[in-house]
Amino acid sequence: MNFGNKKDILVFIEQNGGKMLKAGIESITPAITLGHSLGGKVTALLIGTENQNSVKRLQGLGADKIVSVEGPSFSDGCSDAFFYALSQMAEKYDPAAVLAADSPLGRELTARLSALKSVSCIHGALSLHMQDTSTPVWTLQAYGGSIMNDVAPCTAPFTATVRSGAFRKPEASGQKAEITEESVTVPKDVIRSQVIKSVKEISEEINLEDAKAVVSGGRGMGSKENFKLVEELADVLGGVVGATRPAIESGWVSRAHQVGQSGKTVKPALYIACGISGAVQHISGMEGSGYIVAVNKDEDAPIFDIADAGIVGDAMQVLPVMIEEIKKRKTGAN
Amino acid sequence: MEILVCIKQVPDDSVTVHLKANTGEADLDGISPVVNAFDTYALEMAVRLKESSGGAVTVISVGPEGTENAIKSCLAVGADSGYLINDAAFNNAGAPEKSKILASSVKYLEKSTGKHFDIIFCGKEATDYSYGQAGPQLAEIMKIGVVTDLTDIKKADAGVCCKQETEDGYRTVQTGLPCVVTVSKPAYDPRYPTIRSKLAARKMEIPVLTSSQIGNITAAKTANITLRIYEPPKRKCGVKIKEKTCADSACKAVGMLADAKLL
Repeated sequence: MNFGNKKDILVFIEQNGGKMLKAGIESITPAITLGHSLGGKVTALLIGTENQNSVKRLQGLGADKIVSVEGPSFSDGCSDAFFYALSQMAEKYDPAAVLAADSPLGRELTARLSALKSVSCIHGALSLHMQDTSTPVWTLQAYGGSIMNDVAPCTAPFTATVRSGAFRKPEASGQKAEITEESVTVPKDVIRSQVIKSVKEISEEINLEDAKAVVSGGRGMGSKENFKLVEELADVLGGVVGATRPAIESGWVSRAHQVGQSGKTVKPALYIACGISGAVQHISGMEGSGYIVAVNKDEDAPIFDIADAGIVGDAMQVLPVMIEEIKKRKTGAN
Repeated sequence: MEILVCIKQVPDDSVTVHLKANTGEADLDGISPVVNAFDTYALEMAVRLKESSGGAVTVISVGPEGTENAIKSCLAVGADSGYLINDAAFNNAGAPEKSKILASSVKYLEKSTGKHFDIIFCGKEATDYSYGQAGPQLAEIMKIGVVTDLTDIKKADAGVCCKQETEDGYRTVQTGLPCVVTVSKPAYDPRYPTIRSKLAARKMEIPVLTSSQIGNITAAKTANITLRIYEPPKRKCGVKIKEKTCADSACKAVGMLADAKLL
């Protein structure tokens, strides 16, 4: 496709409470692939009330340039202000592509930008390869992950979001990025919504993507009380708790634990699926795990088709024994 | 309050889709078409808002022939009227064009019915491609506010007050009217139709709007080009453990984990 004289990539690095999103940093990786293929540079864009820490942390992570837009208007959740700043920067830097994390904000901003500019919008990218120097091919999931689509945008510029955990963090390098501070004054009339209140219900940080072991529970766990067994097993393994959408919608565990479609993509060395039947929307987010153990009463559950070890049995009876056995072996080894 | 709900008909998402052996396309034959789950949540939220604040709920869908059934199933659970937007010219429209088609349809409906929509509801994404672009794009084209990922909505003095789901909790976001909102899974479930409401919906007319009413919008200008469709590589199935007791099975599995040096 024809990018004309556009060759630079603008990556919006989203922050939450002043901390950069993992998927935001990861989106620098495809930006480098694309930028270098087009012979352009990668500009990381920070928009926030205070960007200093993030600017420092971004140094050496592969961006050629860091652009910081700071101001009181850019507090978390004010998407109209973020959109104004992003579209201003897209106008000024005239990139070949605008990339962002596949988060609610990243998706909203890139979708709005694509409508404003009438350009292609790619959401939820899992990988990128260049078919030739100017044809980026992105892999997307369809139908809950049962089908994969390789797609190319048909406009230049285009916008894209990348799924959390799909790309590796860019390799640390000694390369110093040039820092530019841009001032953006947001006109009052573009602010159509106001954040009245922000409530944090989850205080602990959950890092599913980097976990060595993930123990997940699904609908088959039956209750919030039973779900504690999942937490206990994760605990003895030094792993992180995951969950399916039904378990989260039942209120047994918070959204931050969701694995699969509209949740996190994980690839731990060990994945234990408890009371999970194996809907494709869940499997698509954990199939890349090293070793998969499934515990399910239903011998025909599709989760057994992908499990390395499938325990046919009631999770409520299996998990307590596993927990005790692992404890024994751990203390025995010490 | 005049409320519009945009819905999409998708293949039942509890069914795993495979490829057709002869054409290599996604094989959707035999998978029942349903209203996208997030759109059913949006509709339920819209109908609840109508019930508490008054007004009417209109449903529209850009889709192929046969989408009337999806619209009728919305009429059976609280929507008052529905329109299908269908034209061969709209086939293969990219997401931004589809949103333009929606925006033009809104304009046409407002002109022809004299209604003025206060809120446009969309599901936060569709279960087929999970893009979630329609809501924000529609708002941008119409130059009105948008709040995404709602789990609740209330009428407020100057507009609506939205409960927006976030990664670690929620936000309360206020926005003026008209606006677009996109809906995630609320705490409640969509209602079921009754036999009577189903029968009544079946008898209702679903007018079809074409490019002659809403204008000719060039399709496929921004549509992504699909280069390859394939099924994800399958993992090999391992061993099944089914000992006499669950405890025996558990011990055997832990033994295997230890052997694989995973503990």
